Amino acid sequence: MPKDVQENRKPWRLSRWLGCPPSDNLREIRASRTGSPLGWIVVPVILLIIWQIAAVRLNQPWIFPPVTRVMDQLVHPLREHYASGSLLSNTFISLLRVLLGFLLASVAGIGLGISMGSIRMVRSSLEPIVEVLRPLCPIAWLPFAIAVFKRGTLPQVFGLGYTRTVFDQVQLGMVFVIFVGGFFPILTNTLDGVTGVRRNYLLLAQALGAKRRQVFRHVYFPASMPMILTGLRQGLGLCWFVIIAAEMLPGAESGIGYLLMYASDNAAMDIVIAAMLIIGSIGALLSLLMRNVMAGLVRWHGKEI
Amino acid sequence: MTTGGIKQPQREKPVALELRKVGRVFRSDTGATVKALEDVNLLVHQGEFVTLVGATGCGKTTLLNLIAGLDTADEGSLRLGDGLRFGDNIAHVFQHYTLFPWRTAVSNVSFGLQMRGVPRKERQTRAAALLAKVGLQGFENAYPHELSGGMRQRAAIAQALAIEPKLLLMDEPFGAVDDSTRTELQQMLTDLWQENQATVIFVTHNIDEAIVLGSRVLVFSERPGRIACEFKIELARPRDRMTKEFTELFIQIRTALAGQLD
Repeated sequence: MPKDVQENRKPWRLSRWLGCPPSDNLREIRASRTGSPLGWIVVPVILLIIWQIAAVRLNQPWIFPPVTRVMDQLVHPLREHYASGSLLSNTFISLLRVLLGFLLASVAGIGLGISMGSIRMVRSSLEPIVEVLRPLCPIAWLPFAIAVFKRGTLPQVFGLGYTRTVFDQVQLGMVFVIFVGGFFPILTNTLDGVTGVRRNYLLLAQALGAKRRQVFRHVYFPASMPMILTGLRQGLGLCWFVIIAAEMLPGAESGIGYLLMYASDNAAMDIVIAAMLIIGSIGALLSLLMRNVMAGLVRWHGKEI
Repeated sequence: MTTGGIKQPQREKPVALELRKVGRVFRSDTGATVKALEDVNLLVHQGEFVTLVGATGCGKTTLLNLIAGLDTADEGSLRLGDGLRFGDNIAHVFQHYTLFPWRTAVSNVSFGLQMRGVPRKERQTRAAALLAKVGLQGFENAYPHELSGGMRQRAAIAQALAIEPKLLLMDEPFGAVDDSTRTELQQMLTDLWQENQATVIFVTHNIDEAIVLGSRVLVFSERPGRIACEFKIELARPRDRMTKEFTELFIQIRTALAGQLD
């Protein structure tokens, strides 16, 4: 074996693909991995103790409930709250809506981003519209979406009518608003990724006999993968933002945002805070999940040679 | 060792490539024009190993891109020999960005086969065999950033060989590796060439490299780029740098190059 080969023999680790972020990769990930017991345990515990003492002293649980009452709600996620369902079922409904909207946004955003980035005509004809619609808050689309989709639900799209399942709660209007929320960050990041693809890689692919369509799939797509994943992460975060806001508006009748609003109307501040904690944790979890996926898929990122 | 035309075609070998009065002009945004190539005449026969030597920025890369079909000439004609087709059996090895960073070594080597619709299993087998041939067995699943500079160029050569090229174009492929690695890579390339009988056009700014590898060395002049003169190298392979003949050739080419700098 030649000398330069021997010197570089490294053990191959599958764990880097599957496991936690290989923190040598993205600086961002490294920052997220600096978790210490101080931030994860000590500070939260101190805050919880202060909260508990203050709440007990104030003794007005409809305004400021003690930790114990919020915890009581969190450890009983299946408890039905009148006609509004439980914390768990409403969280599940919200997640289902987000998942569907996000998937649609991903397909449309990545597809359009790649075409806009690689075909000059598509870009010049669509960029102005994108630039005008992008700054628009997704919630502003809600009245329009409800007017267009009425009370249509997912099963109705497939001609199923009322199915007595959780899918009846997936209103198309809601999905549309989530779609809008996720679409633009995914689109703009994909576009940036594609326009940043090195010409050298296109030449290399061409020299190796890649046809135009193959260049899309085998160069533009993988080369912009880091940016696409950044867009997906931002998009998913925004989707989760948007669904909570949309569910808190009048007209919604399920979802964790709806339950939060309903509990507030009934002065059940313990449920409100429990819902807030759930929303925050799920947001963090989704972000962490996307980071791990990202780190696994684009280990090469930032190490181009 | 004459300027201009090539007067002694090797009659037994068919022509792989013929360039006649090829010129290429680049225009900058400000409207200024730069003549990158002018009146380039070149005849390459099948199985030849031609090295192009010249200063950096003298148009060698432009010429190679024209031959590869990645660029088109403004004047003159370029004719490929029988059986040679762009994007089919002409391979290109670059100095930088030689591998796709998102693909493993084996998947990089099989890229060309994948584009040609070769089934996954077969292309994996063929790519692994090629990696072994360039001394990279055991690195099939390594990503380019996990390989050293020399190993990356090995993989790049395997990647190019995978499409079974009849013409191999190499643009300073060993320009970024250290001297001892470079010598190893040169030896490997010579062996592969002798085995495969492909035509090679190899660009370098290193005179030593040009003599070690080439059966013919073309000296390139600067701005506009053209072929100033050529040297036939008939030293036996593997070539010994420490011989008198080698040193004499080196001095001759060095002088020819220096003459271009005036």
